[in-house]
Amino acid sequence: MVAIAESRLPIASEDDIVASRQRAREVARQLGFGAVDQSRIATAVSELTRNVVRYATDGRGEVTIREVSRTDRPTGLEIVVADDGPGIRDLDQAMTDGFTSGAGMGMGLPGTRRLMDEMEVDSVLGRGTVVTVRKWRR
Amino acid sequence: MSNQDRMTDIIDQQRQTISELQTPVIQVWDRILALPIVGSLDTARTADMNEALLQRIVDTGSEIVILDITAVPIVDTSVAKHLLETISAARLLGAEVFLVGLSTRTAITLVHLGVELAGVVTRTTMAKGLELAFARLGLEVVARRGSKASAALPLDEDGA
Amino acid sequence: MARVPIVRIGDTLVATVLEDLHDRDASALETELFGRLEQSGANGVLLDLSVVEIVDSFLGRMLNDIAVGVRLLGAQMVVVGIQPAVAITLVELGLELRGVRTAVNPDRGITLLRRLAAASGITDKIAGFGGSRGGNC
Repeated sequence: MVAIAESRLPIASEDDIVASRQRAREVARQLGFGAVDQSRIATAVSELTRNVVRYATDGRGEVTIREVSRTDRPTGLEIVVADDGPGIRDLDQAMTDGFTSGAGMGMGLPGTRRLMDEMEVDSVLGRGTVVTVRKWRR
Repeated sequence: MSNQDRMTDIIDQQRQTISELQTPVIQVWDRILALPIVGSLDTARTADMNEALLQRIVDTGSEIVILDITAVPIVDTSVAKHLLETISAARLLGAEVFLVGLSTRTAITLVHLGVELAGVVTRTTMAKGLELAFARLGLEVVARRGSKASAALPLDEDGA
Repeated sequence: MARVPIVRIGDTLVATVLEDLHDRDASALETELFGRLEQSGANGVLLDLSVVEIVDSFLGRMLNDIAVGVRLLGAQMVVVGIQPAVAITLVELGLELRGVRTAVNPDRGITLLRRLAAASGITDKIAGFGGSRGGNC
């Protein structure tokens, strides 16, 4: 994959949820994604950044939004949400639909997965989590 | 714009046109839309269909959508799931969706597959769907008074 | 902090969301709507989302919560103007908002509220459930 241009935003407070999703939506629009995909992407970013604000220990992290390309898919958007929070205790459970109980890292992951084309979660207990999602333009 | 971009645009446009031709959204009455689907339904097609349908609901302010799947050859779990999503999305726009043309055999198949069409209003034909739509909107079709008018022809199964 | 203007028109409180809401603004909207309902004795809420382009699970759940609360307060709510892209996204997220009545635009929304107000009677207020026709429950 070849990365082309990128935006990096801090996640430190609730305000950053809106800022990140707005930015993601704008980049998606510029890359030619349709209105529905823009909505999917922005919503996915909202879910992921909220996870960080709500559940990462000091609610800090960073979101990176970048254009990506592959030989079979010329235009795509990749978003990486990273934090140094407590990590996800049970990733399998977090990825199971209906996992909505209380506070805990990983809320909203199944929904986000459905909105995006690809998702990778890298989580180390006590160290942090990195969630990478991608959407390809049709 | 490079030639390749132009080609991609043309292909996208053609895809859109084909999509529109295959799933025409018809305004059969004030506030009633009909969507007769012809051919198999896959993810991409359902996605296009959804967008077109929802936009028509907004543009026409329609409250009822009659989704006719008589001509959809295979209705499996995946197609059923897509249809349910269409129905749910239309609901969020304040429109109720009637599913017509669901054969008894397909219904049984879906039950066996564990797909629940709970809360989905179904009818066997477009005509019956339309009849229900009128009823829902408080409308009635009445024969004209006067000797010149012939007796109202009953609708047969094809709605003809 | 973004504020959602709420105006009273007849028996209806009309709230129009004009920008992307922070979580705390959505919470504040809920509080204010409930407060205004109690205070004003209005029996309907029209929540206009025509301008909203992003509705995530937080706002989605908030809409559900507001709908429940409004009913408990003996009133009805209709959400209008959900954009097609938003509707599709919500459904894919798994949020169907079954407990929220919707209409395609404010005009239809007001009509629906009127019908709901006419249909709802004492039984309605005691049970806390919505009225008859249309929308979705």
